[in-house]
Amino acid sequence: MRSLLDFLKGKWLGHPLHPILAHVPMAMWLGALIFDLLSQCQIGGNAMVRLSFYAIIFGLAAALVAAPTGLVDWSGIKKEKPAWKIGLYHMSLNLIVTLLFGVNLALRWQTFREASEVDRIPLLLSAVGTLILIISAYLGGRMVYEYGISVARMSKKKWRKLAAAGGANLPPE
Amino acid sequence: MLKNLLEGKPLRHPIHPMLVHFPIGFLVVSFLLDLVSLGFPEVPNLVRCSFYAMLFGVVTALLAAVPGFVDYSDIRRDHAGKATATRHMTLNLMVVAIYGINLWLRSSALTDFKISLVPLLLSLIGIVLLSASGYLGGRLVYDEGIAVGRHKRKTPTPQDTLHLSTETAAKAGEAIFVSVPNAEHLRNGETLRVEIERQAMTIARIDNQLYGFQEFCTHRFGPLSEGSFHGFNVQCPWHNSCFDVRTGKVTNGPAKVDLKIFKIETRAGKVGVLLTKAHDQKT
Repeated sequence: MRSLLDFLKGKWLGHPLHPILAHVPMAMWLGALIFDLLSQCQIGGNAMVRLSFYAIIFGLAAALVAAPTGLVDWSGIKKEKPAWKIGLYHMSLNLIVTLLFGVNLALRWQTFREASEVDRIPLLLSAVGTLILIISAYLGGRMVYEYGISVARMSKKKWRKLAAAGGANLPPE
Repeated sequence: MLKNLLEGKPLRHPIHPMLVHFPIGFLVVSFLLDLVSLGFPEVPNLVRCSFYAMLFGVVTALLAAVPGFVDYSDIRRDHAGKATATRHMTLNLMVVAIYGINLWLRSSALTDFKISLVPLLLSLIGIVLLSASGYLGGRLVYDEGIAVGRHKRKTPTPQDTLHLSTETAAKAGEAIFVSVPNAEHLRNGETLRVEIERQAMTIARIDNQLYGFQEFCTHRFGPLSEGSFHGFNVQCPWHNSCFDVRTGKVTNGPAKVDLKIFKIETRAGKVGVLLTKAHDQKT
């Protein structure tokens, strides 16, 4: 159990896994919206419709892989910290977005092979999903850049050495 | 002003790591579409799809490069992360060049049902280099703390460490005065990162007074010379620990241990720091 948690936290890689995996759904789903809009402008024809469909599927697959790594990172934050609450919002929004793109994908399933442009409702779902995702991703970034979540978590020893060499008062190990 | 904008200070979030989602995502998906086209050559448009994805990837990579250069220029010259950042940048430039060639090769064969070998190989090399580069970029944030908490700081951060040495050898317990000429020019909220006799310290001006304290936070050793100031408190950019610069006392966690502080004095018209050499310990 312990080793599974360490794996999901990315200790083996020396880099947290969640922010690596999160790139894929973020890019794919915003990409899907852009492809939908292009397709509405009669650009790309069926290639654009398919591209959007593939982007949503890749995004969903990556989101499902990214979710457990995020959950593990979040569970390591103390409940009284402001980052815990932000993490909760981040997670809830992500769940909503994943659901929206799940429905979105189902709506396209029958038509993506032949259609020469994306329908209105899937387009709308892409737009709403992407908007919520941007807010959610921003919250995720704030956890790192405002509250330092996962920062210097794996490089603690290296920094302690530097601080000791610089004559600093140190916390007990 | 433009620099603050490109560093994402108004958003309170750096811009470069926001934008890099797109080149990474699109270039990976372009490669996956290539593979699908090999496995399912009867599916139409895959090669064209892959080309569009790649085009998006390269355009967004160029966009992401701009705030990336700004972030790079703001890393202290003697920071351990600077070399990593140089490697990250070099790899990214190579990746963009490789994908530029790749796009050009593909542009004449968009109606193919199967991707041909040379562009596929170029994509493979591109993905490998991009992964390595993305990994280094992540290490910059999660190991070196680059850009973490940067938006909280209102003044520029030190571009270099000032290395000074004591002119006279001090006996144990004796205080020696080391002049720090640059300290006089500091404005309120500005800092110097100084190293004297293996003591790394921050010298900051607050409310027209100079204060000296240890450079490394006592929590996870974040750089206090890049911290922000609230009254007489310095806040670590990483995990927001606060210390009173006058006493070194922790005023807000997660840190629990107080800072070492250094006395700043003016002697014979020169500003400097008083160093008390501890008993001759070998470290």
